Amino acid sequence: MLVLNNVSKRLSDGRLLLRDISFSVGRGELVAVLGLSGVGKTVLLRCINRLTTPDSGNIVLNGDDNPVDITNCNIQELRTVRRRIGMIFQNFSLVKRLSVLENVLTGRLGYTDTLHNLFFGFSAEDVDRALNVLDRVGIADLAYRRAGTLSGGEMQRVAIARALLQEPYLLLADEPIANLDPNTSERIVELLREITISEGIGTLAVLHQPEIARKHATRVIGIKNGVVCYDGEPNISEEDLATIYGRTTG
Amino acid sequence: MEEQRGNLERFYRNKYLFPLFLFLFFIWSVIATDFNPKTLVEGFPNLVDFVLRMFPPDFDAFPSLIKPAIETIQMAFLGTLFASLISFPLSILASNNISTSRLVRNTSKSIIAFTRTVPDIVFALIFVSAVGLGPFPGTLALAIHSIGMLGKLYREAIEVIDPQPLEALEAVGANKIQSIKYGVIPQVLPSFVANTLYRFDVNVRASVVLGLVGAGGIGFELIMAMRLFKYQEVASILILTLIIIILSEKISDALRKRIIGEEVLK
Repeated sequence: MLVLNNVSKRLSDGRLLLRDISFSVGRGELVAVLGLSGVGKTVLLRCINRLTTPDSGNIVLNGDDNPVDITNCNIQELRTVRRRIGMIFQNFSLVKRLSVLENVLTGRLGYTDTLHNLFFGFSAEDVDRALNVLDRVGIADLAYRRAGTLSGGEMQRVAIARALLQEPYLLLADEPIANLDPNTSERIVELLREITISEGIGTLAVLHQPEIARKHATRVIGIKNGVVCYDGEPNISEEDLATIYGRTTG
Repeated sequence: MEEQRGNLERFYRNKYLFPLFLFLFFIWSVIATDFNPKTLVEGFPNLVDFVLRMFPPDFDAFPSLIKPAIETIQMAFLGTLFASLISFPLSILASNNISTSRLVRNTSKSIIAFTRTVPDIVFALIFVSAVGLGPFPGTLALAIHSIGMLGKLYREAIEVIDPQPLEALEAVGANKIQSIKYGVIPQVLPSFVANTLYRFDVNVRASVVLGLVGAGGIGFELIMAMRLFKYQEVASILILTLIIIILSEKISDALRKRIIGEEVLK
């Protein structure tokens, strides 16, 4: 469903960060991306919804038998492809002064008419959808709270609900549990996995916890020195982990 | 080592040169402005005489002053309202983090800076000659001049917002206008409200001064009474002005506290 072909990205200082990255993500797959800090995992994720533009290669999203090359599309096409890609951030990236419900509703912005929304806000149908999605992620009771007053785990659920309201083909999660305690982390990843499978979404999650990747991912991709050095079973061996993280096996 | 010694010399040069310049400029200013405490002491009886002629204040004139007093507040209200309506889009176009075109940014910044640099009394004189005496030119002058301060403060508030929610909005496929509605405005609202109320305060005081050049309100009554040497009426106008200013300060303070206090609670 998502296919990356030879994606390369050079940093502004000239260093080649990503070199010919190729892989694909299918429906119902939760792919964990592992790698050392600074190896370019986040940049890779941002290339996929073009918050960053790669230097070469192409990225194709094919959610409804209508493949779109994300790397070569105009602004209008980019907007329609972005609305099908949910993104979840390390620090949740919610608008803290808006209510939970309003934050979730912003997931519909890619679908709504700008002028109509400017004067009349979201449709009753969208509000209904948002409430359902909040129920789905288990925080329906928080709908009218200000987002800034929630705990980290609750905020990340709001972010997931926002992404779900996009009716995404693909979820990109950039270290979704880096700011959460172990218990909450486990719950969030479980939720991601459950959604991925039941909704038939492809999910690409940058993680820093190999144990969690082993337990919940359906596949693991390791990145080292700008290339994919591991792509396979989630039950990754200690030797392979050592290769990814550059440790010598003890 | 030689280099460090050079730095040290420069350090001492700067350390003594600046205070010296400041002192020389002080002397020059005292001479140029005829700043002389002795003159003030000698003129003191005149001052007392002036103040005594104001007593007792002519409170009979009070009822006829109510209308111009309210007019002053209305001028400040409309001036602030129009200024904030114009300043808001202008400040977005001028902000480094939201506006993408350097040309648009610099043009907007220049407009804001220009309206701030030209004193409101100059705008008032221009508008009085354009549309005649009365509160209308005063209101226009307040509106235009206030853009300078409001535009600058709004822009500063916009430039320090958290950029991450904006990126998230970009990622869901929101366009600029949608990002402003859902990402920028919620974040800057408290500071916008506080700054606008503060400007209303300033404008109440400023509209009194604008009356002096014929731009309506209680200031106009003040200058008329002065010209006719009705010092007792001048006194009652000054008292009323004081009441208006204190009242408007209290009101905007209460509103500000209500809004920002709510911010703290939630």
